[in-house]
Order: sequence, then C-alpha cells, then structure tokens
Amino acid sequence: MKKIFDKQDKRKSLSLLISIIMVFCVFGTVVLTVSRQISREMSASAIQNLSESLDLIQSTIEAILRNEAEFQTLIAQEVARAEDPEAYIRTYERNQTLAKLSLIPAGATEGVSNNGEPFTEEGLDFSAGGTISKMPVSQSYVNDMGTWSYTIKCPVERNGQEIGTLYAEYIYDTIDQSLPDGFYNQQATLYIMDAESQRFVLKPKGMGMRSAGHLNLTDFYRANSIQEPEIQAEVEHCLSTGQNALFYHDIRSVEALNYMWAINNGTVFLVGYVPVAAIQQEGRTVNQNIAIVVASLLTAFFLCIVLYYRNWRQEDKLRKEREEERKLHSQQLAEALQAAQIASESKTTFLSNMSHDIRTPMNAVLGFTTLLAKDAEDPAKVREYTKKIMASGQHLLSLINDILDVSKIESGKVVLNLEKFALNDVISSVDAIIQPMAKAKGQAFHLEVTDIRHEYLVGDETRISQILINLLSNAVKYTPEGGSIWFRIIGMKQRSSQYERIRIEVEDNGYGMTPEYLETIFDAFTRAENSTTNKVQGTGLGMAITKSIVELMGGTIEVFSEVGRGSLFRVDLELRVLEEADRRFWEQRNISSILVVSGNPEQQKSILSLMRDTGVQVDSAPGADEALKSPLTGQTCQLVLLDWESCGPQAAKRLREGLPESVSLLLLAEFDAAGMEDALQLNNTNTLTKPFFVSALRAKIEELWNESASLPEDTGILKGMHLLAAEDNEINAEILAELLEIEEATCEIAANGLLAVERFQSSAPGEFDAILLDVQMPVMNGHEAARVIRALEREDARSIPIIAMTANAFAEDEKAALDAGMDAHVSKPLNMELLKKVIRQISRRKD
Amino acid sequence: MKQWISACLSLLTLLSLTACGSPEDDPKNLISQSTEEKQIVSLFSPMEKSNPNAENVARTAADLTVAMAEAQLGIRVDYWTYTAEDYQDKTYDEVSLERVRSNMDDLYLLNPNVILTLGAEDRLMDLSELDSAKNLREIVYTANTVDGKLVAIPQEVVAYGLFVNVDLFKQYDLELPNTPEEFLECCRVFRENGIETPIGANRWWLETFVFAQAYADLYNGGNTQAEIAALNSGGARYSDYMRPGFEFLRTLIDRGYIDAEKALVSEAIEGEGADFLAGKTPIVMAYWDAANAETAYGKTDFEMQVIGFPSSRGQMPVIPMTGWAVGAEAEHAEDAMRVMDVIISDEALQLFAETNRVISPSKNVKVDCVPSLRPLNDRIEEGVYVLGSNAGMNVEQWGNTCLIVRDLLAGATVDECMAAFDALQDAALNKP
Repeated sequence: MKKIFDKQDKRKSLSLLISIIMVFCVFGTVVLTVSRQISREMSASAIQNLSESLDLIQSTIEAILRNEAEFQTLIAQEVARAEDPEAYIRTYERNQTLAKLSLIPAGATEGVSNNGEPFTEEGLDFSAGGTISKMPVSQSYVNDMGTWSYTIKCPVERNGQEIGTLYAEYIYDTIDQSLPDGFYNQQATLYIMDAESQRFVLKPKGMGMRSAGHLNLTDFYRANSIQEPEIQAEVEHCLSTGQNALFYHDIRSVEALNYMWAINNGTVFLVGYVPVAAIQQEGRTVNQNIAIVVASLLTAFFLCIVLYYRNWRQEDKLRKEREEERKLHSQQLAEALQAAQIASESKTTFLSNMSHDIRTPMNAVLGFTTLLAKDAEDPAKVREYTKKIMASGQHLLSLINDILDVSKIESGKVVLNLEKFALNDVISSVDAIIQPMAKAKGQAFHLEVTDIRHEYLVGDETRISQILINLLSNAVKYTPEGGSIWFRIIGMKQRSSQYERIRIEVEDNGYGMTPEYLETIFDAFTRAENSTTNKVQGTGLGMAITKSIVELMGGTIEVFSEVGRGSLFRVDLELRVLEEADRRFWEQRNISSILVVSGNPEQQKSILSLMRDTGVQVDSAPGADEALKSPLTGQTCQLVLLDWESCGPQAAKRLREGLPESVSLLLLAEFDAAGMEDALQLNNTNTLTKPFFVSALRAKIEELWNESASLPEDTGILKGMHLLAAEDNEINAEILAELLEIEEATCEIAANGLLAVERFQSSAPGEFDAILLDVQMPVMNGHEAARVIRALEREDARSIPIIAMTANAFAEDEKAALDAGMDAHVSKPLNMELLKKVIRQISRRKD
Repeated sequence: MKQWISACLSLLTLLSLTACGSPEDDPKNLISQSTEEKQIVSLFSPMEKSNPNAENVARTAADLTVAMAEAQLGIRVDYWTYTAEDYQDKTYDEVSLERVRSNMDDLYLLNPNVILTLGAEDRLMDLSELDSAKNLREIVYTANTVDGKLVAIPQEVVAYGLFVNVDLFKQYDLELPNTPEEFLECCRVFRENGIETPIGANRWWLETFVFAQAYADLYNGGNTQAEIAALNSGGARYSDYMRPGFEFLRTLIDRGYIDAEKALVSEAIEGEGADFLAGKTPIVMAYWDAANAETAYGKTDFEMQVIGFPSSRGQMPVIPMTGWAVGAEAEHAEDAMRVMDVIISDEALQLFAETNRVISPSKNVKVDCVPSLRPLNDRIEEGVYVLGSNAGMNVEQWGNTCLIVRDLLAGATVDECMAAFDALQDAALNKP
C-alpha cells in the first residue's frame, strides 16, 4: 500500500515538474521571441540608420566635390579673363582647399603651377574616366605634401575658345574635416577608397598606430579575414557598377556590418565596418532590460518557491511530528488496551480460577456439613468430616489471605513491620511447616545454612517467613513425589558491617517452567498451566506477592528453571544486624566453654563463627576421641555439641562415657534424624535440630536448664475465664461463644464497641478476665472501643487484656490494634489454640 | 537563511521604489551643450600592415605611452599614417620629409636620414630642453644632435642584427659566424645543402652588413671622434670605409647568397619573412623589435637567435637612431612638445621597455630581453656596436647608404657605389 502511495506521489511530483518545465519553456519561448523580434526590428532600424548616415556622408562629400568643381570653374573663368593667365596662376597661394593650381596652355604639354614650378600632366592618371560635374578627375595619388590628393581639370575658355586647361589639386584631408567625428560612438571605421586603384586615400585617425589604417582593399580584406570569394565577388561587382554594398562579417571576432558606399558615381567609396553590437545598442539595451525584468521575475518566483518550500517543509515536519505523536499515542493506547485486555483476561481467568478454587473447598465444606448433619450420631465420621471441613476452611482462608495481600500490595498499602528477629526462629518455623509437607510427598528436603555471621537481625519476620513459605510450598507443590528440595541460607560477603547479606535459595528437581511462563511468573493472577500442574491448587498470587515483598525489602529475586529439570529461586536480602549483647546469658548459666565435635569442617567453622561474639570459648574436634583428648574436656567445658550425622551414636556414647556427668551433651541432628532413641537415653543428653543457631542453642539451654522448674504446657488456660466479646456478626458471635464454651470459658457478647464499653463500665472490677473486640463494627469499632476502655477511670481499665479479633490479618492491622491500646491481635476465623497462646503470653507479660 | 531572504526582499523593495521614482525634469533641448574642445596633436607614423587577430607589442607599447600623454595632458592625439604599398610608391621617408616641410602634422616618427636632413633644414624643434631629455644615454645625443640641437628622441635604442635559424645551423654542423669569412663559409655550406638563397633580404636593411664592416673599427677602436673629424674634413673618405662592406655584399650577390632582384622590390619583412619563418631561409636581418612582435619573428617554430653582423671585430650590432621629432613650424608645436616630454619620460620608457623588452634610451630604465636577443644584447652591453646613423657626420649615413645599396642590387659596381659616396662627401664638403 505504501508503495502504491509512493508511486502516486512520484507520479504527481513528475507531473508537477513537467508542468513547471512546460510553463518555463512557454515563458522562455515568448521572451526569446519578443527579444529576437526586438533585435530584428532594432537591427533593421539600425541598418536603415546606418544607410541614412552613409547617404548623408555621401551627399556631403559629393557636395564638397561639386563645390570644388564649381570653384574651379570660377577660377577658370577668372584665369580666362586674366591678361596673363600664367601670371595669374603664379599669384595664387596654396590654401587648405586647393593644394596646387596649374595651367597648361592649349597646345602645350607643359604649363606652370602656382608654386612657380613647371607642370605637366605626367603622373596624373585620368584614364579611369571619373568626372565631377562633368570635369575629369584623376586617380588619387600622394602629392608633394605627402598626403593623398586628386586633381580635377577643367578647360579655360575665352570667347568660346579653349586657351588652356586648369588643373587643381585637392587633398583628401579637406574631406576629412567634413566627416563625422566619432562615427557610431567611435566604434565604426570609415575609410575613403579610390575605386580604380582600390587604395585607401583617407583613413580614420586617433585610434592608435595599429588600427590607424589599411593600405588598400586587399589589405582590408586580409587584415579583417574577409576571404570569402562570394563576398569579394559581390563587392567587386558593386565597385565596378558604382553600387553600394552592405554585408555582415566578423572583424577581429566581433560580428560587424561592413559597407562599401559609392560616392560620386563610384569614383570613390566609403569603406568601413560597424560592430553589430554598436548598431544594435538600443536593441541590446532593451534585451538587457528584458533580461533584468525576467531575471527579477524569476528571482521573485524562486524566492516565493523557496519560501513556499520552507513553509511546506515546516508544515510537513509538524505534520510528521503530529503523526508520530498520534502513532505513539495510538501505540500507547493499543498497548494500554492490550494490557487492559490482558489484565482483564488475567482477572477473568483469576476470577474463574478463584471461583473454581473457592467453590471446591466451599463445596467440600457444604458437602461435609451435609454429611455431618446426616451422620451426627457417628462420632468417628463426625471427626472425619470436621477434619475435612477444617482443611477446606483453612484452604479457603489462605486463598482469601492471598487475595487480600495482592490487593494491598497493588494498592501500595503494605507496610513492613521491622523488628528484631532471630534467623533461627524464621528458619525453624518454616522448616517446621515445610518438612511435614515434603515428607508427606516423600520428598527429600535439605536445609543448609552456611557462612551466616549474625543471626539476630532487624526485619519483618512475618514477611520473610511468608517469602520462604511461598517459595518452599511452591517447591513442594511443583515437585513430584520422591523429588528433592534444597533450602539454602547463605551468608554473602558483607558490604557493610551493619548489614548481613543473606542469599536464600530454594531449589527443586520438579516439573520446572517454560521460558514463556518464566517471563510472567511474577505477574499477578498467573499460574503455570499444564497437564501436570493443573491438579495443583493455588491462587496464582504467591510469586507476585513474594516478589513485591522482596522488592519492598530492597532485595532481589531471580528464578532459573528448565522444564523437567526443576527450578531455582534465589532471593538476596540485606538486613540490618542487631548486636545482641547476650554475654550475660552465658555468664548467668556459668557456660564459659563449649566443645564442638563434628566430622564436618564447614559446620565446625560455621558454629565457631556464630559463637564468636558470645564470649564463650569454643573448641572443636573432628571426633569423639579427639574431643576427649581436648584440654577443655572435663575441665572447663560445660557443653559438648556433637554432630549426629558425621559422628553417629557410637561417638555419642563414647563421649557420654568420657565426659563428666555435669557436662551436657547436645546431639546436633537433622529434623528427621533417625536412630537417636538410644542416644537420648544417655544422661544429660539432648538434641538440637540443625541448622545450628546460637538462638536455638540458647533456647535449648534455657529449656534444659529450666527443665526441672518448667511446668507442663497449660492447655486449659481459658478454663473458668469470663470474657467480654464485642462481635456484630451473630454467627461469629455464636461460634465464639460455642468455642469458648468448649474451653469451659464463658462469654458475654456485645453487638458493637459502644455496648462493650458500656458493659465493661457497668461490670464489677475483675468480672471479666479479658475483652475480645472485633475491629469492624457499627456504632463504635474495636479500636475506638479499646481506646475508650483504656481511658476509663477504672483500676482495671489499663490492665485488662484486650485482644483484637479481625479478618484483617496483616502486620499493619496488628500495629493499629496495638496503637489503639490493645494487647494482642488474633485473626479471624478464630483459632482457639492461637487465642490461648496469646492469652498465655499476656498473662506471662503481666506477671 | 532568514537573513538572506530579508536581504533579498529589501533589495527587491529598494529596486521597486527606485523604479517608481520620478525622473528628474528633462531639459527641453535634448542635445548636450557641453562641447569641451580638446587640444589636438597630429602624430604621423608609418602604418604597419596588420595581421588578423595578431598583437603587435611594439606598436602597443608606443600607443600606451601616447595614451599616457593623452591622460596626463588632456590632449587628443590623432594618428596619421603612411606606408608604401610597393617599391613604386613614395617611401615613408619621402612622404615624411614632405609632410614636415608642409607642416602637415605636429609629431613625427622619423628615420635617421630624415632626422638629419630635416635637422639640417632647421625644420625640427630642439628637444634638449625637455625635462625628460636629461635622462637619455649619451648615444642618443651622439646620433641625434644636429647643429647643437637634439632634434629627435627615440623610445628605444633600435639595434639591428642577424636573425638566424639555429636549428638549421646545427643541422649542418655550423657555428654561428663572427667574421665575414665565416659568414661566407656558412652560406656556402647552406647552398651546398640545397638552400639556394641562404640570406633573406629586402630593399631596406642590407646596408647593415655594410655599416658593421665599415665602422667596426671606427666606433670600437678608441679613436672615434678623430676619425669622424677626418671624414668631416675630407681627410678620410667614406668610400674607403664603405668599400669592404659593399664588396662583401657584391660577393653575396654574385654567389647567389642573396637574390638581388627580389630584394630590390621587397619591403621589410614582407619579402623575406615568410621563407624565414618556414625554415627555408636560415638568415635574415631585422631590428630588435622583430624578435618581440608576433607580426614579425616573435613566434617561430625553431630555435632563433639574434646575433651581430659579421665584422673584423666579431659579431657587430648596428644601431641606427629612429626617433620622435616635433615640426618646428607645427600648428600645435607646443602641445606636441608636452606630449614628447611625457612619452620619453622614465615612466613612459619603463612602460615601453617592459612591454616591448627593448634597450631603453633612458639611463634609468633597464629590463631583461627575450632569450633569443641575448647574444645581441650582450654585445651592446659590452659597448660593442656601430651606429647606423650619426648626426656628427656631415654625410647622412642611413638613408644614403640604403639608396646606394639599392644601386648595387640594381647592378651597379662597387666602384660606382663608392663614387656615389665620394660625390656625397664632396657635396657636403662644398656646402657653404
């Protein structure tokens, strides 16, 4: 299509160009025609003008000659009247007109001249037959004055009888005085040529020696390269017949008009040339003016074209820019539309998935509820059904939590809750969740911690856990049974001593992902779709949430995957180090030295590194024998750590036997280490789950040291408690009441915060053991109610535990609750175990 | 670009406004009344037959100085010219004599013999009082002083020499001749090799051979003034000086080295020039300018050199003095004198010499000559030359010798020619 348009454009341009050329051709032709017409007319006019000028000169010269002849006739009459004609002649003085006057008496061959010298006709040639006023005129000759002259003779008659002949010599210089000075602006040359001898007898003057003349006609032809026989023949014809000739011929490379103008019936001729340029001076001036006008018009025209072209170019540029802009906008719009469509499609797909994902557990809940109603009498079935209902409910809850998470992340409302945490706690809790899952699928789960220097860090523990659980649960999900999962925590080289750089790697040898999917894995509402994974349930939001959280923490997440070979997720985080001054812990418990027995040097190194800041002397030995030989053993050592995997039960046994009874032996073992039962029967011997962390060791020591003093877990803490609960939802209120009743606790339900406040106000001190407040309630919400209660002028208003119950399970929700004066936060649906734990913690804190 | 467009538009506007402007009131009488009459000086000179589209630098040089005078003095110089069509016509010398005697013109370019004749008749102005005359070389005064008056001044020291076709000399393994004997030998070799007439001659310049041999010793022997005095007093005879040269010419004619008949009717350069340029004639004689002018020998297809004439003292340049003169009774004699003062000024002579590459008559002007003239120039610079005319001699040399050489060409014997010289000398001695 573009080509067609280009061709059309080219054709149009060509047509336009041809049209312009045609217009110019017509214009040029008109100008040329007019110019030539003018030149022709002016030339004709100039030739006419030249002819008239030459005619005028001819007339002048002929008049001079006639006058001379008449003058001579008068002289002849005078001579005739004179008594002594010869004496009369002698008295005549030479003048400018008449150079010499001579008389030859009739019948004599010699006479006398006015200079007194004898005179004969010898040297004078009258044979040509030229006459002036019927009087014979001689051919031209150079006289004794050194100038060209001619002689006219006339008879001297007395009484009708010829008494002699009067000869008068005239010089051509006399004629010269009557010729125009500066013929055609001195560009024309004017000679007088004697016709018979063809010699130039009068030459132009005042033009420099070289140009000052030609000798004769032949010389004129030669000097001016007039060698064409036809011209010479034509001129010859004119000379012989006494006619005028006018012809064009270049003179010294300049076009000229040459002329031969007959005078006195062709006895003498005016000969010369005029440059055509001089003749056509007016025509040339007109043509020059026409050229100037045409040039001005063309200049103006081209100036207009240039201006138009500039304007057109600017407009074209603007148009192109606008087009580009429009195109860009269109593209952006198209992209936006496409993105919107994709988003819409994704959300549609997501909703479709959600619909399916929510319906499935919901169906299970409803189905099992129906079955529960039917088999209410069968306790085994009831337990089975409730278990399944619980599982479905949990799944539904996680789905809803994920959706809410995404919603929050997308709206930018996620706030990190930065607090001190122990890396060990995170890893332990995650490990505790994932290990059973992996085990259930028969997967090998490997946890490796290397090069960690600091385990007490500042960060959002919950979110970090979320990241790890997301990655690991995905690994478990997308790895078939019998597969392997590696969970690595790697300490990277620190960029600052204030920050610990941690690399978290989750690797599996599961299904893997296609490169196309890898590109969208972190986009919300996507989920790997294939025949293998279709059966895997999930919201498809996990990775989007994970990436968002990692980036919120200033970290990076990468993924490497290959279909059929598994995937590797790598998260790099940089967390601030919290220097925990825990030396007192060890001092209080009189622990000053620890012996590490491990066949794994890496592990030894890791433990030594982690224990570096505790103030405890740590020594290491590769085996039991070496440990027993260690100077620390039995002397100052209070604790021995034995790596179960590298040393085994024999080493434990030997050590126990070799060590004093007071020295505790801790077996450092994997989560699912087998064959430890016998070893644990040994005195003062216990286990510590890998990976090794100081905090874990401290917890274990605390546990061991306080073992005798510790009480069994109080599982019935709610028993006998009287609680005030604010819950606007009747079903939830009923569930709560029922659940508390199961725990043998009683509960008063208020329909909103205000009622709860009033009820508390009206209660006797100590009537309620704790207050449970839903957050979102009509009239007065939970936060407001908590603030009011805390502000009450009652003794127990500040001390009574207030616990928030909310469907919002985010850190910021918990923070908001605490800010409102509440003591803790539990998310709905209410988990009684969690509630008990919270109440227990509050009680301990208060104690 | 915008500036250009603005400038163009401004120009167009200006042109439009100018075109629309009302013209000044025209006078009713359309003929201009300013008739500034320029003073006119008539100049008479020979006219050279011009070739189509050829430049004659010599003429151009003289014209340039005349134009300089016109510009400086506000005078118009009119040229009047004459050249004989053939030998039957009056010669330029004859015509110029008559024109001076008839006071036809103001300023004349004259040959040495005419200068002396007219000087003797007191028909020429004394130019020694001109400011520019003070810069002239002594040789100019020697040649042109008649009865104590400097009657003519040249624009160049015209030196005559032999123009030789060096290629032909080399072809026949010949050295350029120094003496008359060597010259004859060269001619013999040329003739033997098929060059029938080795010397191209005309009716004017054969006398240069005579002068070279006649006066080589007189002008270069260190006793010039005494010898001239002896000639003027009749103590020595011109014929004695002239005889060797005439005999030499006789030999050349007799041996056929010169075509006497042709020479007698040939005008200068016209007669012999074509054969020389065509490489048919190895030797011609001509004046300095001919080597510069394209109209003469300024452009040859062969290597040309100009050497002196053969003499007992080697190659001998011959220097006659042409010159500009002012008619004593000229109508515009005063203006003509002013023109003279300009055209022989150092400035004008510098221009002339630079244009024409000649030896300047001014002591203050020197220019390099064309390579072909160097042999001749070197001799002149050495002070070795003979004068073709000398106003100090009571017998006019240049014109008389020319005429007597013509007699020789016409068949007169050497003795008859010598008798003519004796007659001239006797006439001069018998002058009152």
